[in-house]
Amino acid sequence: MIKTEKILHLKSSRGRKVRVVREHYLREHIPCFSALCQADCTNEGKVLSADVTHYVVPDAGVVRDFLEVLEFRELRGVVFTQTACQAVQHSRGRRQYNRLRNLLKDPRHDCVLFCNEFQQYAYCPREQGEAQDKWQTRCVYHAAVWYYDHLAGLQPVVMITEDPAAVSEYSSLKSGVYVISTQEYLQSFWPDLQGALELHSSISQALQERESEGQEREYAEHLPPEVLEAGIKSGRYLQGTLNVNKHRAQSEAFVRVEGSTSKNEELNTDVLVCGMKLRNRAVHGDVVAVELLPRTEWRGRNTALTEAEGEAGEEPQSQPMPTGCVVGILQRNWRDYVVTFPLWEEVQSQSHGSQRILVIPWDYRLPKIRISTQQAEALQGHRAIVRLDSWDSTSLYPNGHFVRVLGKAGELETEIQTILTENSIHVPPFSEAQLREMPQNSQENPWQVEPGQVGARRDLRDTHLVFSIDPKGCEDVDDTLSVRTLPGGALELGVHIADVTHFVRAGSLTDLEARSRATTYYLADRRYDMLPSVLSADLCSLLGGKDRYAMSVLWQLDAQSLAVQQVWFGRTLIRSSYQLHYELAQSLLSGDEGAEVPELAPLDPAERRGRREELCRALEALTHVARHLRARRDEGGALELEGVEVRAQLDADRNITALVPRQPLEVHETVAECMIYANHWVARKIQESFPHQALLRQHPGPRQQFFSQLMDSAKARGFTIDTRSNKALADSLDRAVDPQDPLVNRLLRMMATQAMSNALYFSTGACSQDQFNHYGLALDRYTHFTSPIRRYADVIVHRLLTAALEKDKEVEPKEAPASNKELEALAHHINDKNRAAQHAQKQSTELFQCLYFKDKDPMTDERCVADAVVYAIRANGMLVFIPRYGVKGAVYLNNRDGQVISVRADGSCEWQSGSLQRHPDRISTSTGSGTHTFCLFDHITVRISVQSSRCHADRLCLEVISSLRHEAAEPGSQKAGQGRAELVQEVVRWAEEASQREAEGRAGAPKLSREEREFRQSKKPNLYTILQEIQELALSDPNLTPEPQTCATTA
Amino acid sequence: MAGLELLSDQGYRLDGRKPSELRKVQARMGVFAQADGSAYIEQGNTKALAVVYGPHEVRGSRSKTLHDRAVINCQYSMATFSTAERKRRPHGDRKSSEMSLHLKQTFEAAILTQLYPRSQIDIYVKILQSDGGNYSACVNAATLAVIDAGVPMRDYVCACSAGFVEDTPLADLCHTEESGGGTSLALALLPRGGQIALLQMDARLHQDHLDALMEAAMTACRSLSNVLDGVVRQHLQEVSLLTRE
Repeated sequence: MIKTEKILHLKSSRGRKVRVVREHYLREHIPCFSALCQADCTNEGKVLSADVTHYVVPDAGVVRDFLEVLEFRELRGVVFTQTACQAVQHSRGRRQYNRLRNLLKDPRHDCVLFCNEFQQYAYCPREQGEAQDKWQTRCVYHAAVWYYDHLAGLQPVVMITEDPAAVSEYSSLKSGVYVISTQEYLQSFWPDLQGALELHSSISQALQERESEGQEREYAEHLPPEVLEAGIKSGRYLQGTLNVNKHRAQSEAFVRVEGSTSKNEELNTDVLVCGMKLRNRAVHGDVVAVELLPRTEWRGRNTALTEAEGEAGEEPQSQPMPTGCVVGILQRNWRDYVVTFPLWEEVQSQSHGSQRILVIPWDYRLPKIRISTQQAEALQGHRAIVRLDSWDSTSLYPNGHFVRVLGKAGELETEIQTILTENSIHVPPFSEAQLREMPQNSQENPWQVEPGQVGARRDLRDTHLVFSIDPKGCEDVDDTLSVRTLPGGALELGVHIADVTHFVRAGSLTDLEARSRATTYYLADRRYDMLPSVLSADLCSLLGGKDRYAMSVLWQLDAQSLAVQQVWFGRTLIRSSYQLHYELAQSLLSGDEGAEVPELAPLDPAERRGRREELCRALEALTHVARHLRARRDEGGALELEGVEVRAQLDADRNITALVPRQPLEVHETVAECMIYANHWVARKIQESFPHQALLRQHPGPRQQFFSQLMDSAKARGFTIDTRSNKALADSLDRAVDPQDPLVNRLLRMMATQAMSNALYFSTGACSQDQFNHYGLALDRYTHFTSPIRRYADVIVHRLLTAALEKDKEVEPKEAPASNKELEALAHHINDKNRAAQHAQKQSTELFQCLYFKDKDPMTDERCVADAVVYAIRANGMLVFIPRYGVKGAVYLNNRDGQVISVRADGSCEWQSGSLQRHPDRISTSTGSGTHTFCLFDHITVRISVQSSRCHADRLCLEVISSLRHEAAEPGSQKAGQGRAELVQEVVRWAEEASQREAEGRAGAPKLSREEREFRQSKKPNLYTILQEIQELALSDPNLTPEPQTCATTA
Repeated sequence: MAGLELLSDQGYRLDGRKPSELRKVQARMGVFAQADGSAYIEQGNTKALAVVYGPHEVRGSRSKTLHDRAVINCQYSMATFSTAERKRRPHGDRKSSEMSLHLKQTFEAAILTQLYPRSQIDIYVKILQSDGGNYSACVNAATLAVIDAGVPMRDYVCACSAGFVEDTPLADLCHTEESGGGTSLALALLPRGGQIALLQMDARLHQDHLDALMEAAMTACRSLSNVLDGVVRQHLQEVSLLTRE
């Protein structure tokens, strides 16, 4: 090593300039990370591939400003220099730098980091008086030259830069090392990559525009970071995340103060930030510092229901709350935003010849974004992805640049993509490299059990009767069951889960993709799988009559007491004998002779009867065990409420049963119970083996104050709800049944569900042991183990279990389990993705509801009139639930002209001038013709119409048309479930017809979408998932969205 | 500016070293003729000068005299020009007094004081340029000076600092790493016996990591002792050549 010195001039903490001398060590051997290396570099990890035509070395300026362009996966052989990375780190902040780091780590991108500043021959010291960017360019050029020489000239190296002076200075110095501008590079080397070229020009345009910015100040300057930090420490400023109120995006935002250690009780609530001026350029999601205003200027939050348009005049306000203004931004949390381009006429009227236009984000909470583009005319009315660049104090709106077009607003495909982007869900088709990793299974070349695996696994094919019970038509069977009596009389219960980790090795491309997706996404009409379909629907799916690998848990239970005598975990080889569905299993259990088991059909009658009896016996034994397990959990206080919700979620039937409070089939509960039991035992096992690094799932108890709405509502009907413990809550909910109106109980349960906190994944090293428990299931430890095909958490748990078993056998595990820190980060990621998946689900359902009602005339169509139940009262209206469509929404009792709803004698309603009066459990309107009161849980009739919006999602509008129950054409409540299925089918049909028409119109246009579909799998709506998802969403509140209830699982 | 990345993903530190690599060490013994022993050491950009007087009679108050061993008197100071911003007070402030005390404890453990009852050994150390690891530079310089003075010691005392960043122990911290906010630990070792003369850590560290951190510091101390040994042998050679003539 050679020691040199680097002299820097830095600013000291007091703002003075200091001369700092730092050591700088150089060495001869710095790994180059290229597959072409001739000098035996110690290239560990990611290596640049050799089969590219050239390597490209971007200049510091390019990496700083055009990193997004370099993120295109098609660009291969990119060598990032240390100089460039440091430039990003210093001038762009941590967020951008982390993005670059992740890019470097991601094996799907062919790029590496070369530490040129530590290389003896590539390093060039900065000369006296040399400008920083000149020096950086020189460093990068030298690095490029070294790289070329190091590879013995085997690969030409292209350096790309934004500096024209550098091009002229360096381009002719050495043959083999080319220096060209980025634009030229993209045009000549990647002419097919239109997206990259467009992105590049849009960014450079945005950069140019920024330079020519005006000087007029619109906002107060932010305080410098040192001042903010000191202020936060001293308590003068408060730090928190900015949350913009969706309904009053212009005026109201709240800052949730982090770690409020303040003694002042008052400050433990959120801080209100009123208006755009005081918000001072903060965007929803940013971490900001706020300063409180004097108490005289504190204001209350608005409680009236409003539409997006602000209403003038006095609005009812709550108690004044802490109010503040944003003084600085600690961390921007900008992501990709979907925006809509305005119509061309509007643009022309607002702009002054410039190419800058204001686009409107889809998310109400964001301000308009100014972008500059030349395609504004072509893109009018289209939705596109935009990224924010900056927001200077001189500009009223933030600046951004345009990234990619999604399509015309209002089209189904565009809207679905919008929903995905807004939730930061990225589901590209599985790449070829990923699919190449997958085992083959085709007609000509069927997949077979590997001989090595037969010895390594416990073979249950001949000894155990294994069967699966799933919803009808399910293709990804990830759990199977078995039960048998052992020679000693003991019972052996087995749960066999698809062995996904056998096929998905940790660190493989498939694994990385699954990890970044974290879950399978179910939208209203499609799903995006976590794993390629060859696994999820075939090799990992425990199909009937096929040999499959499994991870099994086998319990040996005492014949009488059913106490666990012994438990065995391990990898097995199984062959599922029967692939049952719930209804069939139930009818077998109840001794229905007519039930046909398809697997037995080809056998002769005598054998058929024998086999059938054997199966029935197993099912009976299983039910017996499950009943016992359930009873044991109930004693511990398992929440019945959740049981209902969950049970309801699991099965296909639930959609119908949930509307009419009817007990679901017992067999649902049986399967769920076995899965809960398996999850629980695996959780125990991995937590004991890895006390600090096991992935478990916790469900914290709810906070009592969240129950206030539930208790108040229940009081209106004369019920009391006891929320002190999970058991008390469950019991009191069971009692709160109105014999006349089953919906009351259902709505109360819904409110109780909302009050629950979400269950979350966590790493055991990050929490203390008393936080491990699962409130809903009343278990001390719980995890997810039973659905590795559609949840990444289960994959991790499978790996942990494998490692735990290896540890027991004292075999050195092949790979060390993830550390607590990594696991905690992963748990956060999975939790985030699950939340995103739910939001996407909910939004897609809303989208479908809107599309369904869009082409119906609300005045004439009978389907637009429905019965609704009031479940909450607001200052100027009420929230209602429409059981028929599972829609929740607001009904206004006054309008903008100051009129209120008045009710005639026959119940029909009309607008008249009058006044409104609100009480905790009712709201009354008084007009010249009389007074009418709407109470909680009243049935009313509403008309549903669609309020369409070009830039945002369409919304359903509800209007009272009668204060009486809607009697017409609701033939039996179970129709409701069908109503919903019909809804989705109709919309899908509508969309398909529309796309067909389009395709016919542009005859010969390439049908790309079909290929996409092939890779992404299952475009065809699976009836089961549709029903399940929609119903589930209908149950959850539009604002709060609890995680689809927590515990039990299967499907 | 975002916080500095003390350890990059590629495993390099800010100055280009790997986690376990030391800074460049250069040392010289016998730099002054007047003192009984003296030495100068550079560890990277940290430069220290040590001077030893003694053993001699106890100076000042007689009451300090110990009847069975020698008194070690240490004084630590930093030159006013040693830091980027000029220091006001070269010695006598809290930090220097603490450092003096640490040095005293270290050398009481290393020097065979019982050979010189009722006498005193003075060790003066001055930091000429400070760039992290001041304590270890002082100990290493003083060791050489004590050897130069011919005072018998149990073993070399080698000191080195170590820090803990992103689950990796870093040996021999420079100033930026020390002030970067991580845990740092100073360790003085008698390498042959493996005894620890002094161990100091004043930040929080998870118990699980302590062993790894100490191991890194001890390895660094051992390699330092090799360097110091080389310096002493070199010096002896030079001196013997001179005396032979």
